[in-house]
Amino acid sequence: MKFNDTLARTWRENILFSVLVELTYRCNLNCFFCYNDTALNGVPLATEQYFRFFEDLRDLGTLDLTLSGGEPMAHPEFFTLGRKARELGFLVRVKTNGHALRGKLLQRMREEVDPFILEISLHGASSETHDRQTRVPGSFARLMANLREAQALGLRLKLNAPLTVWNEREIGAMYALADALDVPLLVDPQITGRDDGDLEPLQISPSREGVTRLFELQRQRAAAIHGNRESPADDVVGDADETAPVAGAKHCGAGSSTIVVDPYGNVYPCVQWRRRVGNLHEQSIQTLWNHSGELAEVRRIAVEVKEAVDRHNTPGFAFCPGSAEHETGSPTRLYPIARLMLELRQKIPAA
Amino acid sequence: MSLGPAARVLRLIIASTTVFRKTADARYRNVSGEGIVVRQAAGEVLVLSEVGARVLDLIQSGAPVGRLFTELAAEYDIERAILERDVMDYLQELLEAGIIESAAS
Repeated sequence: MKFNDTLARTWRENILFSVLVELTYRCNLNCFFCYNDTALNGVPLATEQYFRFFEDLRDLGTLDLTLSGGEPMAHPEFFTLGRKARELGFLVRVKTNGHALRGKLLQRMREEVDPFILEISLHGASSETHDRQTRVPGSFARLMANLREAQALGLRLKLNAPLTVWNEREIGAMYALADALDVPLLVDPQITGRDDGDLEPLQISPSREGVTRLFELQRQRAAAIHGNRESPADDVVGDADETAPVAGAKHCGAGSSTIVVDPYGNVYPCVQWRRRVGNLHEQSIQTLWNHSGELAEVRRIAVEVKEAVDRHNTPGFAFCPGSAEHETGSPTRLYPIARLMLELRQKIPAA
Repeated sequence: MSLGPAARVLRLIIASTTVFRKTADARYRNVSGEGIVVRQAAGEVLVLSEVGARVLDLIQSGAPVGRLFTELAAEYDIERAILERDVMDYLQELLEAGIIESAAS
């Protein structure tokens, strides 16, 4: 049995396998393109509520639990919640900007949370570019030092880089930086608008030339990896990435095998698809997962999206129904960056 | 599968009262009858069969080896001696893979 077959089954049979929890929207950086709706109001989930939620997830068979934000380490109970997640046997991932990941906090991360992987945001190969996007001077230098310290402690790392018009010329250098650190780098060519509807971040969407450069570079790297196993792959072994292509009737696992929970208990199909399907203050996750009419609708739409995407007959075309709905009002309609990526993917096939 | 002398000695040490537990490094869930194990340090994902998942579920419940035999014999139509041999072999594999360890250690 292969893991991909199991993943396909979770999509098909609506088994909740992977959950991302946005613990807080507080952050120690100030990234220009941050999608969080920082003005969102609500009653934050209490520690005991998180504990019950995690226990419910364990009983539902969820294995993959990502702690995110904002900056998750900015949550006052981050280590309490991280320890609980570890004790309950989750495969814990932490999505962090890495800014506070040093010294005693780094030690606590290792000893108390013991994450499977730390996914850390990288915005450029130079302080000029990285700090421009984070809007915190010195953040790049600090991140480089923190990465080395985290590696010395034996933590598994992965770098996530959104492609923007500000860093697209440094993509080659960013891959070189990641290679030198022996850390995989995942570059996302899609910038999304803010969850409050503000599309300002799209102003720094990558250019056609930038996305073209990225696709060509990725194809060269994939060819080099197949011939020579020295470069770290652009993804990690065992990464239950819900956007990974899995054969089946649905386009993705959003709402079928994965959900996202915001700091106020609101539940969404995924990070990008901010269509509220319930709230943990009102219902347990079991009730919500098995009886939410909104989730049933999302699962139906996932089939429709696959049919729409398949009509383009372009393997490797990354389409997000959440971004589509956010930018066009429909989860199946091509949005601007998707249109560009489709065109480029037809010229530069995925490796 | 024929076991060598060292393995036969190990088999003798596993008594019906032996209790195993999952190691801290192994993260495990029974996903609708299939067992997913991630060996965290190695970054490896293993998919267990329904029976393998059942064995690991029983281990997680604290059941000693003897109860593993009893429970599985009630659930599967298989001769007891064959079942015990197969379960012992499986426990050996789980031990060698670092997925379980003796609860006494």
